[in-house]
Amino acid sequence: MIAEEEMVEKTLTVGNKLGLHARVATMMVQTMRNYSCQVTLVKDGVEVDARSVLGLLLLAASPGSEILVRAQGLDSMEAINEISRIIQDEESEEN
Amino acid sequence: MKNPKKTNKKKASDHPKLNNNGINRMMKGIGVSGGVGIGQVVVIERLTNDICPKRVLKPEEIPGEIQRFESAVKDAAERLKQIKSHIDPKHPLGDHIYILDTHLLLLEDRMFFEGTKKAIASERQNAEWALSEIMLKITSAFDSIGDEYLKERARDIHFVGERVLKNLMGISSESKIHQLPPNSIIIAHDLSPADTAQIKRECVFGFATDMGGRTSHTAIMARSLKIPAVTGLENISHTIQTGDTIIIDGSTGVVILNPDPETILRYRQRHEVYRKYHESLMAFGRLPAVTRDGGTSVRITANVELVDEIAIAVEHGSEGIGLFRTEYLFLGRNDLPSEEEQFEAYRYVLVNSAPNPVTIRTLDVGGDKIATSLNISPESNPALGLRAIRLCLTRRDLFKTQLRAILRAAVHGNCNLLIPMISCITEIHTTKEMIREAKEELDAEGKPCDHRLKLGVLVEVPSAVAIADMLAREVDFFSIGTNDLIQYALAIDRVNEHVNYLYDTLHPAVLRLIRQVINAGQARGIHVAMCGEMAGDPVNIPILLGLGIDELSMNALAIPMVKKLIRSISMEECRDLTWQAFEMQEASEIHGFLDSWIRERFPKDHFVDAS
Repeated sequence: MIAEEEMVEKTLTVGNKLGLHARVATMMVQTMRNYSCQVTLVKDGVEVDARSVLGLLLLAASPGSEILVRAQGLDSMEAINEISRIIQDEESEEN
Repeated sequence: MKNPKKTNKKKASDHPKLNNNGINRMMKGIGVSGGVGIGQVVVIERLTNDICPKRVLKPEEIPGEIQRFESAVKDAAERLKQIKSHIDPKHPLGDHIYILDTHLLLLEDRMFFEGTKKAIASERQNAEWALSEIMLKITSAFDSIGDEYLKERARDIHFVGERVLKNLMGISSESKIHQLPPNSIIIAHDLSPADTAQIKRECVFGFATDMGGRTSHTAIMARSLKIPAVTGLENISHTIQTGDTIIIDGSTGVVILNPDPETILRYRQRHEVYRKYHESLMAFGRLPAVTRDGGTSVRITANVELVDEIAIAVEHGSEGIGLFRTEYLFLGRNDLPSEEEQFEAYRYVLVNSAPNPVTIRTLDVGGDKIATSLNISPESNPALGLRAIRLCLTRRDLFKTQLRAILRAAVHGNCNLLIPMISCITEIHTTKEMIREAKEELDAEGKPCDHRLKLGVLVEVPSAVAIADMLAREVDFFSIGTNDLIQYALAIDRVNEHVNYLYDTLHPAVLRLIRQVINAGQARGIHVAMCGEMAGDPVNIPILLGLGIDELSMNALAIPMVKKLIRSISMEECRDLTWQAFEMQEASEIHGFLDSWIRERFPKDHFVDAS
């Protein structure tokens, strides 16, 4: 079961000019559909589900802020890599 | 269309004098999308929280109430998907449409969905009440965020919640936004992205809202649509009534209610440069597209999807419909449109365009986009998958119905039949076989049909270009679909931000493919048209003429401009430019060359900025 899997953690810096905004949050939730592991994001002691757009937006992660990503499950490494890519991407921005 | 720069400078004399009769009442908001709009107010009402019914449930009512909430959410999601599916991927809103995806995810978000159901069960609140409490909770959480942009997202929760609330209360969530009279200025407390996506640019001259800032999605969308807009007016939606006259200046954020004639005049003058230019262009719409030397004439037609667009196309000078998309008949529903329904739609378009020709394109979508009853599973690479003619030849029942409807409708006008995504000759043979069958069936049933309907290939797959000489022997005309052809030829997904910088209409490979198609068509003496975006961009026109294109089908709004350009140049110039461009090796070089040529040749026009 999932519980036997080790928990993977990684600290990321938000690379986006506008922070973790709607486009990024939408992309993240849609991407998470391809993974089975549990993933949460932690900022300033607040922990939210990476599959909740509302949660992600309410993190209010501004550009340059640090986020701890926690994943537990079979594909947690892949999921964390994908999330790193999305969060650290400097190109994506709202215009 | 073009839009000359508006000045942002504000002179004191621009401020109209206020008086007590409500004339020239001025309000100041945030100008979020430039330009001046003068027109008649249409107030779009929105739901306010205070009319939401509150009731304590009996325990036995709880399961039913939860079910009622679930189905209201499901309906809201369906409607959003439907709105989204009706938006052309080439719509000026482009990828801002992603916000509709965000809304769909919000609907299924745990906080929103499970939170409401929990409140119904534990607090015994009726669904409307529970939902508005949850919305309040969520939006107040957003209020405490310092970041302006993220704060604005509370509006998105509101739009989504309101859609569900309206479903629960049996109020139509459809605003009249997609059926407004011309000259409309929309006034609303707020406009949701879904509302904005349905705005018709031809009818709406501007909008102004109580809420919103520069970063609201509505503001972003207004800029994409090039509609003047002012937001953050606080209470304009309660101050003004439908039918009032209003001026909005999206550059300065100034809104003037019930302006006096003098003020209207001043604002009209401000807009005059643009207006004059636009009108002089419109005059060109009525003239034929003949080169200056009188030697070559090109048929200019419009790409049309909805029947309402025919009038706009005619007004802008289109000489027929070069591409009538039929997808709208199939999208956003669970069943397939019947032969009768399709027949009526096609007949209407043909009758209203006669004697000008209408080129009807058969269904051009993937199976996953239409009727769930088709049972087609999602594909990993839909662009290279079961779509367009491939889908039609797999589901022949569907194709036969459409062919019968078109053959019958063709009796009522001047109709051409265009088959999308042909990639090999067999597909054309099979299509012809099916047309023959359909005619025989109709004859046997005694239903009149057009026996001489012209058949064409939409050339958009590189393999079709390579065998254009063979295809030319099989059909009556070609239409080059550049949007897909460029994507397939250059192996670029235009919406992929990592590679879309490589997408270039004037890539030497693209120009050579086009030349090959035109040459193959000319060798057999068949008509060659072009119906992609490329056909409506002035910068490409000299080359397309130089190569010998017979027809250009485009967004109707571009027609006057393209006609003006064609009437101003000679074939000698076109051939010369074409010859020079074919000597160049890089897309950027060709682009720069044509850009500077057009700027120098037409310093007073805005042909380049318009693209």
